[in-house]
Amino acid sequence: MNAFAALEVKGLSIKFGDFTAVDDISFSVNRGEIFGFLGANGAGKTTTIRMLCGLLLPTSGSALVGGLDFGDGGKGIKRIVGYMSQKFTLYNDLTVGENLDFAAGLRKLEPAYAKKRRKELFELTAFNKPLSSKVSSLPGGLKQELALAVAMLHDPEIVFLDEPTSGVSPESRARFWALIRRITGLGKTVLVTTHYMDEAEQCGRIALMSAGRLIALDSPEELKRAAFPGPMAELDFKGVEARAFLSGLEKAAGLLELSPHGMRWHAAFSDRASLEAALSALPPFASAVFIKPSLEDVFIRLVEGTER
Amino acid sequence: MNFDLHRVYAVARKEVMHILRDPFTLALALGLPVMLVAFFGYAMDFEVRDIKLAVSDRDNGPAARRLKEIFTASGYFRLVEPGPVGPVEMLDSNRVSAALFIAPDFSKKIKGGGFAEAQFVLDGSDNSKAAAIIGYLPGIQRAAQLRLAGRAHGNQSSSGADPEPSKLSLSAADPDPVELLLSEADRDPAKLLSSGADRVSVETRLLYNPELNSRWFIVPGLAAIIIGLLAILLTALTVAREWENGSMELLLSTPVRPLEIIAGKLAPYGALVLAGVCFVYLVSRLVFGVPFAGSHLLYLAACLLFVTAALSQGLLISVLTRQQQVAMQFSMISGLLPSMLLSGFIFPVESMPGFFQYLTMLLPPRWFMAAARGITLKGADLGELAVPFLALGFLSAVMLALAIKNFKTDLE
Repeated sequence: MNAFAALEVKGLSIKFGDFTAVDDISFSVNRGEIFGFLGANGAGKTTTIRMLCGLLLPTSGSALVGGLDFGDGGKGIKRIVGYMSQKFTLYNDLTVGENLDFAAGLRKLEPAYAKKRRKELFELTAFNKPLSSKVSSLPGGLKQELALAVAMLHDPEIVFLDEPTSGVSPESRARFWALIRRITGLGKTVLVTTHYMDEAEQCGRIALMSAGRLIALDSPEELKRAAFPGPMAELDFKGVEARAFLSGLEKAAGLLELSPHGMRWHAAFSDRASLEAALSALPPFASAVFIKPSLEDVFIRLVEGTER
Repeated sequence: MNFDLHRVYAVARKEVMHILRDPFTLALALGLPVMLVAFFGYAMDFEVRDIKLAVSDRDNGPAARRLKEIFTASGYFRLVEPGPVGPVEMLDSNRVSAALFIAPDFSKKIKGGGFAEAQFVLDGSDNSKAAAIIGYLPGIQRAAQLRLAGRAHGNQSSSGADPEPSKLSLSAADPDPVELLLSEADRDPAKLLSSGADRVSVETRLLYNPELNSRWFIVPGLAAIIIGLLAILLTALTVAREWENGSMELLLSTPVRPLEIIAGKLAPYGALVLAGVCFVYLVSRLVFGVPFAGSHLLYLAACLLFVTAALSQGLLISVLTRQQQVAMQFSMISGLLPSMLLSGFIFPVESMPGFFQYLTMLLPPRWFMAAARGITLKGADLGELAVPFLALGFLSAVMLALAIKNFKTDLE
């Protein structure tokens, strides 16, 4: 095992009856890394995270989480990781302080230590509401930050965040991601699932999941480079019917990917020459500009590639 | 397996905060016992009083007047003077529930020591009311025997010393069409003695609740309703809420164990329910004067066993439904109905059809009811209550095991 690895996963699978939710995935995560899981709903992201938190036991395969395996049924792992689930899991009818006290009680933290951690986490998250405020009265973004503080109260080395920013405002999302970067800055490892492409861009590395399998794993830049070695153009037909041109373009030499993005189309080619040849016959009303491929393009290309 | 009390305490403390913050739970836990006591202790009285009695007195003699006095003095009857219509028409039109017919020669026969008869006609269309009224007749009969027949001869006792004591018969009858005569004369020891034929007489003495006070019968049973409803409902709701909110994930992602969650969540509700039982106990003793003949310790043991069964049932419901709404409906049906209808709380188990009698054996409230009444009214000891206690213990253990097993497998 790599001495710097926070997680080491080998051939992990889980089945629920006949359904294979996670199918033979292997990867390792370095300490201090922001590791993202990207995939559609039902791709197996949450199930993977729940296994790595010790909430579910795998059907086969092995994992070392902070050096611990599933030998004790996940109990040891639960002690050393922090988990923030997709659903908002604090108690709305209790106050901020009561929620934190409850988490401290469940983890048997010394009151003095819990108090110190609470202060540290409030500083880290810039949470400034009084302890006596009811959770139900907090805005969505603050609730997420409090949930993170509860998940990190016992100072875990590895933090799992399952879609932490679903349903909060764009400003709160940005704030939350800045917070994630501060956490990894402290040497903690963060595993996060998302289906926001802009959030995925901020991860050190991304594991792309589809139908329970890991279909790609790399940094956002490398994923783009591997999926699209050549140039990409964005075609805009300004709302004019261009079906004949598009069906011709589909057969063009060197075309890697042609996909609709709203009213526009993205066309990726293996090299510049094929792109220029294919677009020489562009209708006069249409326009084409070079663009950098986004993670969304990568996602579409890779997921469609596995489904074809 | 190490069971950590710190974590149980953390869960229990959080649960207490939920209870204190939730007006519905508080209102239910505090209001239900008060409501039940008020309802069953005051409003629902199985004794029938103020029965309107029409009298057709064709005798108008002193003995007839005394007979009427005896009816009113019992406290159960109120005389209604017949107007232009006769007593039977008054029965038909529901203006009275019973009618008394006194024959023209009633006083003369009493005076002469003969067999004086008065007929009592009863509206049989309301079974339970008619049964209650019939139950009052022996007392009236005895009083009449003593005051009329005795006084006629200047002798209050009917010891048999008098060679020819007068006989009085009161007969109760359904008005129409078949006459049911309930002759009470055979119970008259004086008559039996004088006839010299048969010296056996049947005398009824009621033990434990000599006045058949319905509050004595009902109020101790309220503990079963409170436990059966509150424990099941509150537990089912609290655990289902944890699933519904997704906060069960938070609990499970910590090192807390399923058994610790169960213990921590159930303890406050167990305490709340026992407080309700204490309240009913105090009210029944202090307000209604219900006697407590048996051992308090034994009573507490029965309560704890039944509470365990009820909490387990609530837990099982919440695991199976996972939704507060559904859990609530299930709790009402599986908690309230058996406690109310199949436990013997109001309707005796012995008078149920065979199938239901067997069914009640599977229901903890039936056994708790038997134990609770046995302890409070009869002062029964553990030896006498071995069957209810064993059944209750067995059913509680099964329920708890089932609930824990389902809860644990559900988490994995």
